[in-house]
Amino acid sequence: MFCDEALDAVERIAAGDLVADGRIADHLNTCPGCAAALESARRVERLLQQRSVPHVSPQFTTSTLGKVRRARWRSDQWLDAGFNLGIVAIVVAMGSALWMLFNRSGLAAVSNDAVGLFGSGLSTFASRVAPSLPLYGAAAAILATALGIWWWAEREA
Amino acid sequence: MDPATERALVERCRAGDDDAFRELVDRYKDLVFALIARTVQDRGRAEDLAQDVFLRVHRGLPYFRGEARLSTWIYRIVANVCVQQPTRPRAVSLDDDRTRVQPAAADRQFGDLELRDRLEKAIARLPANYRLLVAAHYLDGVQYEDLADALQLPLGTLKTQLYRAKQQLRRLLENELR
Repeated sequence: MFCDEALDAVERIAAGDLVADGRIADHLNTCPGCAAALESARRVERLLQQRSVPHVSPQFTTSTLGKVRRARWRSDQWLDAGFNLGIVAIVVAMGSALWMLFNRSGLAAVSNDAVGLFGSGLSTFASRVAPSLPLYGAAAAILATALGIWWWAEREA
Repeated sequence: MDPATERALVERCRAGDDDAFRELVDRYKDLVFALIARTVQDRGRAEDLAQDVFLRVHRGLPYFRGEARLSTWIYRIVANVCVQQPTRPRAVSLDDDRTRVQPAAADRQFGDLELRDRLEKAIARLPANYRLLVAAHYLDGVQYEDLADALQLPLGTLKTQLYRAKQQLRRLLENELR
């Protein structure tokens, strides 16, 4: 029974937080098992004290600050996206409100003529632009590739 | 760092001063990395986690009210990061490389190295909170009180947990130590 108490105390004794005296000291002097446990606890204590301290790599600060900057940039992007979405929502709401106003006030009939005029103008514009579409497509593809490379480099850096 | 300097540094960081944050990282990186590296025992992962700690520090600075010391708050983040790490999928066996040990090798240095290696493996088998305690207690600069604050444990409980961790280590290493 007393071995349990002594074994519970060996880590404290080995760490120097408890001085073995009285009953515990007597027991440790007479019980080989507990004496061996104390010796083991002292060795564990020594090994832990001698444990090597891992050192951080020299570029740690720079790479950490880079990560912080990227994280900040990403959160700014989210903020921008939220702002842009807000603007889009406002524009859509204003468009809807105008459309409802036009419909209710009878201005829609007048605006139909305007829409027709705008539609014919748009089709004329489309027929003029159509032959150059492959060129615009290639330019858009180059731009998208460049943006993709930039995004990839930012992510890897 | 005295409280006034610490407060000034935090204020500069909050104001978006990158140099101040660099100073903060430089001041705490060794301790943070050593704590994590000793707890997770994987250098690459430890560096990623240490960076994660500083990211959390950067994100949390606007909400840091200064009720605790900056170091205590950082240890708390380290403790959260370490404890949240998933347990290793494979339990490390102390006998993993016993076949590589030559029985004739009586060299004391070799024996010490072998014992240290087994100690690291035994530490890897401890629960995450015990690993952190063992890692932190034997690092210069980490006070019992800071650690107790960081882990939100009474000082007595912290010491008891540390003794239990060492008791588990002693039992795991029993054969090697005799």
